[in-house]
Amino acid sequence: MVQILDVMEKALNGKPMSETDYQLKVFAPKVQEKVKAHGIKFDLNEPINEDDSLADDVFEAAVELLIDAGAYCTNTNRVISYTENEIKDALKTAPDALLMGEGKDKKWLRPRKIGDKTPPWCLLGAGGGACSSDRAFLTLMEGYAEIPETNAITTPALTRVGGMRIRPASPLELLGAMRNAVLAREACNRSGRQGIPMMNSLATAESDIALAAALHPTYGMRDSDGYMICCMDPMKVDFSRLNKVTVVLSMGGHIGMCFGPLMGGYAGGPESTAVSSTAHHLMGILTYQASWLLPFALHLRYVSSSSREMLALISATGQAISRNTHLISINLNYTSGGPCTPMCLYETAASVTAAVVSGQSIESTGVASNREEDRTTPVEPRISAEVGHAVAGMKRSDANELVKKLLPKYESKLPNPDLGKTLFECWDPEKRRPSKEYQAVIKAYKRTMSNLGVELKPEK
Amino acid sequence: MDADKIMKDLQDAVLCYDPGAAVKLTKAAIKAKVPPMDVIEEALVPAIEKVGDKFERMEIFLPDLMLAADAVKSSTELLLPLLPKEGRGIKATVVVATVQGDVHEIGKNIVASMLMARGFNVIDMGVDVKTSDLVETVKNRKARVICASALMSSTLGSQKDIVDYLVAVGERKKVAVLIGGGPTSKDWAKEIGADAWGADANAAVKLTEKYSKAR
Repeated sequence: MVQILDVMEKALNGKPMSETDYQLKVFAPKVQEKVKAHGIKFDLNEPINEDDSLADDVFEAAVELLIDAGAYCTNTNRVISYTENEIKDALKTAPDALLMGEGKDKKWLRPRKIGDKTPPWCLLGAGGGACSSDRAFLTLMEGYAEIPETNAITTPALTRVGGMRIRPASPLELLGAMRNAVLAREACNRSGRQGIPMMNSLATAESDIALAAALHPTYGMRDSDGYMICCMDPMKVDFSRLNKVTVVLSMGGHIGMCFGPLMGGYAGGPESTAVSSTAHHLMGILTYQASWLLPFALHLRYVSSSSREMLALISATGQAISRNTHLISINLNYTSGGPCTPMCLYETAASVTAAVVSGQSIESTGVASNREEDRTTPVEPRISAEVGHAVAGMKRSDANELVKKLLPKYESKLPNPDLGKTLFECWDPEKRRPSKEYQAVIKAYKRTMSNLGVELKPEK
Repeated sequence: MDADKIMKDLQDAVLCYDPGAAVKLTKAAIKAKVPPMDVIEEALVPAIEKVGDKFERMEIFLPDLMLAADAVKSSTELLLPLLPKEGRGIKATVVVATVQGDVHEIGKNIVASMLMARGFNVIDMGVDVKTSDLVETVKNRKARVICASALMSSTLGSQKDIVDYLVAVGERKKVAVLIGGGPTSKDWAKEIGADAWGADANAAVKLTEKYSKAR
């Protein structure tokens, strides 16, 4: 079993190579070679994959890619290589259930299968989106905690402390991370869901030192929260990230590795990015010692996951993992459109459907590419969760028909999306509900979804 | 090999993303006494522009763009010393970097490659670049434009540091500061006193064209 000391040994003694050579001369050609060798080709007219053998090919290609390319340590400029046996052993020993949260919010997080009727684990919130103030942070967090489908929360990241913009690895980031922990727990306490786990702990702690500092018991983080560590694309790691791994392991926490391969980036097109995304799952349980995985592949141009290439990529990756492993995979979706726009809601419906019918759980939502501060509300993750529950058990063929009807509603707008409104422009924190304008958008959206055969909860 | 064939093969080397072949063919062009400016303007620039267009249409992907840009860069490094000092064909010098504290590189790499593809002399300083090192490089290499990328909200402040540092050392008026990256915005550029904000790599190239001429 590969453990953290083994990872360090590999990082210190692996094949020396420049980062550019790893990316351009090893990873990029290898992933293309695997796609070609396995004849992997998506039919973008049918974005949800219905071909089990294609999913299996993606998985085999991913295993071969990891064996051939390995991971890469940017501190030592060395390749971290894994044997097939090490990969197989890690897949065998990876956890197939995690007990998350406390009290009445304590629940088992388990892997899902293709067409699984079990609703997805709903990790709801801002996906680490930027948040400008304590007030906005608490407003969002209380909103997320009040969503009945919320199994766990993905908090925003604070950008300011004491009126000052946070700087990386500075006292401001440490204080921000501590504040992130305290405010998140406080919001859940206020909403009567004290036991709910945070699973992107800690969004504000980009540096290792900030994470370690905010784990002091004073700030209320728990073993039953999830600790998210972001992998650098493609399949790279550095000592700062390995420091985070070491800290979380030492406290017995559950590590989730998040990774956002860019479709159009180092991996290339949708097929090869699906292979890369699948390989990242395997790399994550080894290098990052992850118990759960959080893919969020993004389109290079649109910085979202709702175009038809992205739906094909999400479904193929989910199915590759679901059919061939018991890994827990939670897909995070990004929209191009912003709050208070129909586009955003249709985008999230399509991406969530692609993930849920393909055996994944969901994290939602990175709204409007998660670029701007406070451009997110509790509505988008709530709607995502409702869709996730509604499509659980749906056949892939039916999901294909659904997304083919959703795509024309936003596909042409992806290059120039409507960014909608900011939090306090379309969410009333006193009434704890969306503005009248946004309510009208949601009601119209739900009528359309009903006409498409997806019954969502009636809107209050 | 005659000069026409060398020029065509050199274009093909760039179009096939092959830096090694591009260097060999550039050496062959020099040996065949093809004027260096002709090599740049008639072979390298048209080829890399085609590659850039393909990337914009997503017909090719990042590794191809980077390798093609590397091919052009390697070739121009051989040709530049042969050009008369006055009227060199290459455009202005641009320093490209991901700011201090930030290790995200993909956006920066795309901008650097596309600028090379458009004929700029690009100094790519990499990621997590110390503000003082960046400003020193700008001074020493007489750069006209800085393209500073930040992908995390916590590293936005490093973009402000660049502007402040340039002001402090009396270099601000000599160089344009262009910023970009996920959490950046037009408002942020205005707030910190940067010259402009680019929403994506295409915008960065257009802004660099504009601001390099203005200085």
